[in-house]
Amino acid sequence: MGTFIAQRIWQTLFVVLAAALVSFVLLRHVGDPVNNMVGQAASLAEREAMRHTLGLDQPVVLQFARFLRDVAAGDIGVSYRFGIPVARLLIERLPATLELSVCAMLLAALLGVPLGVWTALNRRSVISHVLLAASLIGVALPTFLIGIVLILIFSVWLGWLPAFGRGATVTIGQTWTTGLLTLSGLKALVLPSLTLGLFQMTLIMRLVRAEMLEVLRTDYIKFARARGLPNATINYDHALRNTLIPVITIVGLQFGNIFAFSIIVETVFQWPGLGLLVIQSIQFADVPLLASYLVLIALGFALINLAVDLLYAVIDPRVRADIAVPRAIS
Amino acid sequence: MSVQSAAERGPRWWEADLVHDFLRSPVAHVAALLTFVSVALALGADFIAPYNSNDPASANVIDARLPPGAAGMLGDHYLLGTDPQGRDMLSAIIFGLRTSLMIGTSSVLLAAAIGITLGLVCGYFRGIFDAVIMRIADVQLSFPAILIALLIDGITRTVVDRGTHDRLAIPVLIVAIAASYWVQYARTVRGLVLVERTKEYVLAAKVTGVSTLRIIATHIQPNVMGPVLVIATINLALAILTEATLSFLGVGVPPTQPSLGSLVSIGNEFLFSGDWWISIFPGGMLVVLCLSVNLLGDWLRDALNPRLSDA
Repeated sequence: MGTFIAQRIWQTLFVVLAAALVSFVLLRHVGDPVNNMVGQAASLAEREAMRHTLGLDQPVVLQFARFLRDVAAGDIGVSYRFGIPVARLLIERLPATLELSVCAMLLAALLGVPLGVWTALNRRSVISHVLLAASLIGVALPTFLIGIVLILIFSVWLGWLPAFGRGATVTIGQTWTTGLLTLSGLKALVLPSLTLGLFQMTLIMRLVRAEMLEVLRTDYIKFARARGLPNATINYDHALRNTLIPVITIVGLQFGNIFAFSIIVETVFQWPGLGLLVIQSIQFADVPLLASYLVLIALGFALINLAVDLLYAVIDPRVRADIAVPRAIS
Repeated sequence: MSVQSAAERGPRWWEADLVHDFLRSPVAHVAALLTFVSVALALGADFIAPYNSNDPASANVIDARLPPGAAGMLGDHYLLGTDPQGRDMLSAIIFGLRTSLMIGTSSVLLAAAIGITLGLVCGYFRGIFDAVIMRIADVQLSFPAILIALLIDGITRTVVDRGTHDRLAIPVLIVAIAASYWVQYARTVRGLVLVERTKEYVLAAKVTGVSTLRIIATHIQPNVMGPVLVIATINLALAILTEATLSFLGVGVPPTQPSLGSLVSIGNEFLFSGDWWISIFPGGMLVVLCLSVNLLGDWLRDALNPRLSDA
């Protein structure tokens, strides 16, 4: 257990350092930072002076250490495209992405778990078969196409829901903008979170179904039936509780996937979050923005994975470092 | 040379009764037919497509965004309508299919080559190299493949200048997708090699003085290929989806060259004018292609029934 946790923490550090290194190399070697800061007419001496103030004449290892300190302090650089500090830009965009991701995950879990339980309990019903077949097709449906079809139906043809933007937002505290408090904000959230959550929902549904079927075959369930307990007690109190342990892990891990797929959904719906920002930063070669996004995403993923692994170890004492937690492939 | 009984190593993948299995599975029939048609369309695009989408002369701006079945100003007939440049959608889809399949297949082959090689080396020699590679694989598995492909592609894009990039767009895309999918092959092959290397036929080969390289390449390698074939088939669908997604996001195939993803992306801009066919037809083709490749992969897995390791 101790070695397991130590190994995971070591791995987390390694990932973040590697991402920081890539982003450091990007920032230092794509274009000359001095050229970006001094004017065309700057003399050689002025350039040297600038180089010295920026610390670019120091050994690379020292520069990297300084870079890490700056990143930790939230000072990463200024976006080429927007001309404002990258950290501020990221903080501005983060609420939109988080709101979208959390809504999508909630939607997926709140629909996926009951559907999974229902299809497990009514294994032979026609609706179960239809749901399972549909979930198979869902795997071959690319996220962006789901979004486009939803826009076509609900925005273009029916005109019920908006197809782009966040609607009206309310600012809470200093920087947190939320679309959850206005009607237009809520309406704008429906299609993107549905698009983002659909794949995860089919995944959770199939997982819950498989786990539930597994649990229903165990001896303690048979024994509960033999004792004459009511079906509802057996199904929901005894079986479902044990089914949900692996589901919690998967939901946690899938949160990382949701975060990645939010890039696609944000592009389809022009949702002003981090994902849209990173796609634009790639198209405009906005190196500071891309570099800091890289560090941020590595940190986010590493922390999610660490948290899930620790949670898993807490929930299931049988866990050992060599057991791979099943992960879905994109 | 090698003393090896069929009972000891189990049936090789080509010895499984695939033909018999195939004849009994209607799903496999449909999937194979659709996959075959897609590949045939892609290969024969030059002869089958009514217009050549790669030829700028096929664009005809006065015929832009015509609905399916409409006739053009000059008497052309467009079965599936036209795109914003007045190109025939049907031809664009057929040529796009070729681009998508080409990128998908190449990246799967590259990923398999990298993964199999690393898996064989890691599994046979173990040691530090194995530990390092498998640690990297673990780390990479904790990130979604699409994110890795996007970041590799995006970073390359910002590093090279624009002109170079348009020329290199497709190779970069292939490498980016391959780099995000090699892990599965490596882990699976490594796991199988760990079992194979202790078997008697390997020992016999060693005793008779067969070189290490030859043992790995000609004795062990054929016995680990079954699961690889299944992974490759299923990954082909994933690779095609990844390409389409990146092209849709505008960081994949340059917009001048039709691919299924870039066509959907072009259509997305005209969705609000009610021009649904520009997005929906290429998108539909993409779904049909991925679904049939996926079903084919599922069938193959069941037919070969190898014990697929996780990953």
